[in-house]
Amino acid sequence: MNDITREITEFLSAALRSEVGPDDDYFALGLADSLFALELVTFVESRFSLTVEVEDLDLESFRTANRITRFVQRKTGSPEFTENR
Amino acid sequence: MTPQVAGERAFPVALRSAAWHVPEAAVAVPELPELASLSAGERGTCLALGIETVRADDGLGATALGELAAREALDRAGVAARDLGALIVVEPRAPETLLSSEATRLQHLLGAERAVTFTVGGLGCVSITPALLAARGLMCADRDLGDVLVVHGSKPATTGRYRHPVTVNGDGGQALLLSSTVPGPAPVRLLDIVQETNGEHWDLFHVEYRDRPAGEWREVCRDSSTYSFRLAMESRGRLSGLLSGLLERNGLKPGDVRGHLSQNLSAAGFTFTEESLGIGIMPVCRENLRRYGHLGPNDVFLNLYTAMERGDLAEGDHAVLINVSPVAAWSVLLVEIGPQQETGAHAQ
Repeated sequence: MNDITREITEFLSAALRSEVGPDDDYFALGLADSLFALELVTFVESRFSLTVEVEDLDLESFRTANRITRFVQRKTGSPEFTENR
Repeated sequence: MTPQVAGERAFPVALRSAAWHVPEAAVAVPELPELASLSAGERGTCLALGIETVRADDGLGATALGELAAREALDRAGVAARDLGALIVVEPRAPETLLSSEATRLQHLLGAERAVTFTVGGLGCVSITPALLAARGLMCADRDLGDVLVVHGSKPATTGRYRHPVTVNGDGGQALLLSSTVPGPAPVRLLDIVQETNGEHWDLFHVEYRDRPAGEWREVCRDSSTYSFRLAMESRGRLSGLLSGLLERNGLKPGDVRGHLSQNLSAAGFTFTEESLGIGIMPVCRENLRRYGHLGPNDVFLNLYTAMERGDLAEGDHAVLINVSPVAAWSVLLVEIGPQQETGAHAQ
């Protein structure tokens, strides 16, 4: 697990009060509501110094920690992501 | 010092009077009949909305609720219905009959025979905004039009009042009497209105009705993830842009706004709006939510007048009214509080 993914899973586990793995789809598990979504996007924006625009609001980019990691790397131009399981 | 509103292109509208009618009978949310058929998770969501009771009277339809509020608003202002220049009805969620006109029905009941009469809607609880836009447009186009009455009766579309996972609907009527030429200072002036919509979400929440009896009508969310993620995040951006744009074009800074009020959907909804915009929602909103539940397009002005009645807003204050609907529609209104005598804040 790379540093980005580790930070995201730590945030998710704390926010959802449940252990979240890199590929756990917390939306499909019914753990997410609009307040959580707001916290998640705000965290991603502030921690990784990026702006989530309306055109970025594809749930597929935010369903799992690994997908968020890919989104962060795409937005910030970070090194190629090595998917971890 | 009270900030000056620049708004050369704005056409301020005075609210001469306002009134509400809510039924006396209250139903405790834990006793709603539909809770028995919900899953444990759905029931838990309903009970965590921050709504303790809603007012309900199956004997009063949307038009009757609106009529009672309208008569009260006209009485308070000393205006006869026959002298109204226009009557704008915010459409009910579900009309009692098809092809007939709820607007002209209310016109007839009130005796507002001279009033230009029509219905607006299509934006859920944001529908109060196109009604105000239409009223302002009519008054701007014809300075001799006279007063405009905007009326809505809020009734749930289905037999169940709980709308998972959003809110619980109560019954209530509202009437706002608007004028461009009010004699003397008005208790409230509507300074500016902004609104946006996104048709992508037009049927995110919907009720199928053509192939089933009314007792089987159920509100369905097409995609709960879209509601909790995409629409929520889009609302953050839309509201933020609308609010900053509204203040800027009226020469105001965020600190010039004395209070922000929103529609009453849920306690979590208030928190979402507060965190999205970095503002505080006035406490009266949570109190009205707890007592009345969601009254659709009536919430924001009920909250405003309740805050005025309690002295939370005073002459010269600016307030912002925020409305969001999953249709999806967003609107932000800027009002200025005038001298207070009889505000008519009480829900009757």
